[in-house]
Amino acid sequence: MQKSPLDLAHELKNEGYLIGQEAAITLFLALALEKPCLIEGPAGVGKTQLALALARVEKRRLIRLQCYEGLDLSKALYDWNYAKQLLRLQLAKAEDWDKIKFDLFSEDYLLTRPLLEAILSPEPVLLLIDELDKSDEEFESFLLELLAEQQVSIPELGTLTSKTTPIVILTSNNSRDFSDALRRRCIHIYLNYPSLEREISILSSHAPELAEGLIKDVCEFVAKVRKLSLQKLPSVSETIDYARALNALQKEELNYGDLMGTLSVLLKYPKDIAKLEERLKRWETEARQSP
Amino acid sequence: MNGWYFIRLVHALRQVSLSISSQDILDAKTCLVRYPDLPRKQILKSLLVHRPRDIPIFETVWRIVIGNTESSESEYSLDVALKKDIEENRDSQSIGGQGVGRGSGGISLTAIENIPDLSNISNLIPFSRLKELVSNGLEFEDVVKRILTDLDYYTWINSFDLAYQRGALSEDEWYSHQNTRTSILNEIRQQVLMIQVTLDNSWDPLVRQHWMFKPLSSLSEEERDLVRSSIRKWARKLALRPGPRWKSNNKGTIDIARIVQQSVQWDGQCFHLCYRHRSPRAPELVVLCDVSNSMSSFVEFIIYLVTCLRARFRKIRVFFFIDSVWDVTEFVWDDDLSGVKQEIKSWGHKVSSGFSDYGAVFKELAEDKLREVSSRAIVIILGDGKNNYRFAQSEYIAKISEKVRKVFWLNPLEIKEWSEPDNVMKVYQNYCSKVYRCRSASDLQRIVKDVF
Repeated sequence: MQKSPLDLAHELKNEGYLIGQEAAITLFLALALEKPCLIEGPAGVGKTQLALALARVEKRRLIRLQCYEGLDLSKALYDWNYAKQLLRLQLAKAEDWDKIKFDLFSEDYLLTRPLLEAILSPEPVLLLIDELDKSDEEFESFLLELLAEQQVSIPELGTLTSKTTPIVILTSNNSRDFSDALRRRCIHIYLNYPSLEREISILSSHAPELAEGLIKDVCEFVAKVRKLSLQKLPSVSETIDYARALNALQKEELNYGDLMGTLSVLLKYPKDIAKLEERLKRWETEARQSP
Repeated sequence: MNGWYFIRLVHALRQVSLSISSQDILDAKTCLVRYPDLPRKQILKSLLVHRPRDIPIFETVWRIVIGNTESSESEYSLDVALKKDIEENRDSQSIGGQGVGRGSGGISLTAIENIPDLSNISNLIPFSRLKELVSNGLEFEDVVKRILTDLDYYTWINSFDLAYQRGALSEDEWYSHQNTRTSILNEIRQQVLMIQVTLDNSWDPLVRQHWMFKPLSSLSEEERDLVRSSIRKWARKLALRPGPRWKSNNKGTIDIARIVQQSVQWDGQCFHLCYRHRSPRAPELVVLCDVSNSMSSFVEFIIYLVTCLRARFRKIRVFFFIDSVWDVTEFVWDDDLSGVKQEIKSWGHKVSSGFSDYGAVFKELAEDKLREVSSRAIVIILGDGKNNYRFAQSEYIAKISEKVRKVFWLNPLEIKEWSEPDNVMKVYQNYCSKVYRCRSASDLQRIVKDVF
């Protein structure tokens, strides 16, 4: 456990993640209070990366649960190993049913899924529940017990409480809102696209092979693109990809006139690309006129 | 942190609809004591605010409750300094030489070439002038408009708009100007709110500015996004809700095939009853939207609601009208509503006189379109009922009402305005199953629950 938010930010930086001051304080408080941390923000701003970096900083094993529509307890928490139970039944034909019926629903026949794995883990872990907004509301309600009490209830086994306190990180892209009950149990961080300076630093650390001038030009260009009304704004990873793409094309600086054909690395929707291509002409004229 | 201010802050946040539990308070106190070196505001923001959209309201409350204790003494000196600034600026020539509407104070934005520092925007607004306007009992938006006029704000933004249009401003400069605009507006709003809260000695003015309760026509871009996201959420919930659309029997009908199929697995020795999945009746919605100028901001949200619902409710028809009807069912389903807005504009100019005529519209509907609508349809009319002193021709809405299952009317005007001389709401009301005031997101939420 770090002594201050500054320490935490420094450690995260060593692991390749640059965190803003406000987010660092909030994350530090969540760790100090041993409360789950809900990280929200648009896609591609580094929510999952923050959890991964934190796991490395805290030297904890990462257990990840990727959420999707229709995710249920048998995929997230536990399931019974039916094949093993059947084998046990076949082997025990002569045995008394009263003896084996309790044995069949013991931990030996339990298949642990990510949530249960985090609860039962003997060493401290970091549980990442990724893109929770994609799951159904029923699953969200189920999580309340886990988030507040760090325990889960299995009808056949009773209540299982975590052996060590896991760090719980939840991420969301805001495709749906969460209930007050869930939000109340979490400390909340909202991550937005990084500032120009921070994005330059991110690119410099993630792609040291790129020229400084190119990094600066690309970051300025992406910052400009993010101000447009597009269906999907470019993420940080797309900025890195774009800078690498220009580097592969032997570009040392960014000229608006040369970008046609490369924009699909940055933007994913044809409508957005068309919009940007149109805007590039204006920017090119402006760049030519400016001294 | 002083305990009294802490209690006041928590109380104020709860008053303005933030949900703060006892556990939150305990956590906040623990952290304040354990980490005295961390910024108090940041600790409290992290632990008491659970939704990003509540951050602006936290900032305002913090400024009122805590900010005042830190800066109450500087307020007077600020005002004095400001008056000096005003005196200095009074004789200066504004851009275009207009200087119109400066009222009893305020620095003209057009007289300042550049806003020097965004953090000092508050210096632009004289406190005494704000207090004077708020004391006059003007509505929040009116006070804001007066202040903006005092600052020559409208002349200032027009000059930038024109400069951008003729290409004298680069896009970077334009964006920077937009940011300054937003900062100025936010600052003025915050200051007016602070004074309203102080003078009223209640948090009601702040509650009224919550996006759920604000008129849909005066929402900011972020608030519009919030309303849209809430509409999406309501639509999703509605699609799953076992409401009146469901068949009355609890379990549905018995599914013999599935019973036999499952029973075979047990050699026919045991079986349990299976029921067919219940399915909601496919409702038919006919939406009529008045798209005259006064209604444009409301139409946007209702169209968005209909767009969200369409994923689940297949049979939807949408008509726009001003003084004649226009079937737009085919092209309102784009998520980006800018296309629809453009269509409304061009259609309004080409086909319509621009003044609503409900009588003529209902006549056209009853005579031409009604035969294509089934008797199970629900008609939703979105309009302010202002008929511009034309004939109500209520027999046609009566005919529509007889033909369809229900007619709901959503009116964005306050109920008292429905009785104004040019408004025919009182006449049409008799033929509607229900009439709603639909002015804010909370009204819309109530209607959505009620109607669908």
